[in-house]
Amino acid sequence: MADTRTLTRQEAPAAGFLPWRVPALAALVALLLVAVLLSLAFGSKALSFGQIWTAVGGGGPEHVRDVLDSRVPRTVLGLLVGGCLAVAGVVMQGLSRNPLGDPGLLGVNAGAATGIVVSTAFLHLPGSPTWAALPGAFLAMLIVTTMGSGRRGVVPVRLVLSGAVVTAVLTAVIQAITLTHPNAFDDYRYWAVGSLAGGGADVMEILPWAIIGLVVAGLLATSLNALALGEEIAISLGSNPAVTRWAGIAAATVLSAAATSAAGPIAFVGLAVPHLARAIVGPDHRWQLPAALLIGPSLLLIADVVGRLLLRPQELQVGVVTAFVGAPVLLWLVRRTAGESS
Amino acid sequence: MSAVDGLSTRRVGMTGRVVLHVSPRAVVVGAVTLALLVVLGILTLTMGKLGIPPGGLWTAISGHADGKEKFVFEELRGPRLSVAVGAGAALGVSGLLFQSGTRNPLASPDVVGMTAGAGAGAVVASLWIPLLPLGIGAFAGAAVAAALVYLSTGSGFAVPSRIILAGVGVSAMATAFIQYVVMVKDQDESLSLAGYLAGTLSARTWGQAQFVGLACLVLLPCALALGPRLRLMELGDAMADSLGARAGRTRSLAILIAVALCAAAVSAAGPIAFVALTAPQIARRLVGGPHGAVVVSALTGAVVLVAADLWVQQAGWLGDLPVGILTAAFGGVYLGVLLVKEWKKGSA
Repeated sequence: MADTRTLTRQEAPAAGFLPWRVPALAALVALLLVAVLLSLAFGSKALSFGQIWTAVGGGGPEHVRDVLDSRVPRTVLGLLVGGCLAVAGVVMQGLSRNPLGDPGLLGVNAGAATGIVVSTAFLHLPGSPTWAALPGAFLAMLIVTTMGSGRRGVVPVRLVLSGAVVTAVLTAVIQAITLTHPNAFDDYRYWAVGSLAGGGADVMEILPWAIIGLVVAGLLATSLNALALGEEIAISLGSNPAVTRWAGIAAATVLSAAATSAAGPIAFVGLAVPHLARAIVGPDHRWQLPAALLIGPSLLLIADVVGRLLLRPQELQVGVVTAFVGAPVLLWLVRRTAGESS
Repeated sequence: MSAVDGLSTRRVGMTGRVVLHVSPRAVVVGAVTLALLVVLGILTLTMGKLGIPPGGLWTAISGHADGKEKFVFEELRGPRLSVAVGAGAALGVSGLLFQSGTRNPLASPDVVGMTAGAGAGAVVASLWIPLLPLGIGAFAGAAVAAALVYLSTGSGFAVPSRIILAGVGVSAMATAFIQYVVMVKDQDESLSLAGYLAGTLSARTWGQAQFVGLACLVLLPCALALGPRLRLMELGDAMADSLGARAGRTRSLAILIAVALCAAAVSAAGPIAFVALTAPQIARRLVGGPHGAVVVSALTGAVVLVAADLWVQQAGWLGDLPVGILTAAFGGVYLGVLLVKEWKKGSA
């Protein structure tokens, strides 16, 4: 019993000014710049920073510009997807005061995947449009939150278990569809591994959704702070928890669906980034959100670069890298929260 | 109240009768499930276009038939049915041992990531060791996944919530790896691999049937022998210790046997989801007590798997999909309902 209770507890946002936050954010901006540079420089062919600089200015040899032409969209996609996933994670964790909020763990990725498989198999739509992913993602999110909520609010382990159940059932649906529709199977297997290789077209596809989701999430920052103090206190502070909850669920789902439709189901970025952000700038959501927006893309781009370098000249998709880095993070969280209770 | 919300044992107040004793209800339930299994078995062999006519069934089984009937029995339905019975029984008992060993009615090989691990193991075999049969890879993968979960919780299999979360983590890694391999293979190969990964009973061989049968023959008696001690375990570790059941050792033994049974089943039939979770649940409800649970779980597991397989074989609209898809869909929904019920009860 003690186990879950400590898992649900999260410190209330501290009042007052924390002097290290501004330099911390500046450091995160620097980290993001480094990640972007790495993402432009490394791959099957490495470029020097000097070469990148001249090519960005429009000069330099043609082959360098060609390499960059493929790496720039990929990097932009990484920025966008990483930001979406990280902010979705912050909102999910803030809403439910649940340290295990993550679009992958809570079944939202599986819901988005189901929507996309249905759209390719039955509507014969090319690619993986966000609007096809959205209904599935919403449905999964609703089922999981309804299942996982008790009378005293959300219990993290329940949410994760509900997410696992929903994922299992939806995976069965996906398998049934893909095994009987070879075309959908082929699209699905390239998409489901989680990759940033899609590039420019995907960026344009998800940009409007990402902007909507990020703006709503940003507007919710103070309400999330109020909610973190508990439902009663939030009401007495003048915020409406029901509105916060629904707007938050909507924002988190749109962000996850957008990221998933562009890059495939990428696990654990949404889980790990909010924890890092809290550790760096504290629990105040007005700081957590921008920090997550910086950390998420940095981590995703670095994971992508690692994947490109590990199997050169082939590449390991970023979804595989994040799973193998993120799962140990989950296990560490599990052990740490358990350690508190003993 | 023990363990985690709702994942706690439901028989805290049970009085543990230590005497080995078989209740009349368990005998009746056992007999009825056995009869049901036989009926389903006969239906599996006789139904459909290729079915053996009921009159010729005995000749086919005794090996005196020839022509089409011989082929259908010896190459198609015979091995398929045998693997279904063996794997179903193995999964049923595996789930029971997990559930009573960890005192968690929701524990099962699926929850600790063994099904996903089995898939990853099979995929490793197909990618790097082409000579190795998928089954052996699956066996190893399932065992490795269970070991990983055991090691990463920091408390073995003692705390249900941690098992579940660690299982989710290990499953995520296994799934990511599977997706990667399914992507790098060419389409035909990856399509057949994906079929196996869903858990299938089509195109089974007698070799696979023998393997899973042998595993049952060796491991089911072990599970039976462990039965009385497992019943004491449900009273709690301290009580079990004081009654001489040595909780820690019993748990490790139970889980070891459960892992071996599950690994044997997945190596014969691929990672078939949720049979191990649902069969013992149904069995416990039928038996109404701890006695005879092992035998009835084995029978229920076999019945569930044979029935699901009969369905995918004969229902035209399913187009002979892998049986694991059906068990995952229905088992998942069943698990969801079970969870919600349990949580409603727990969160007063």
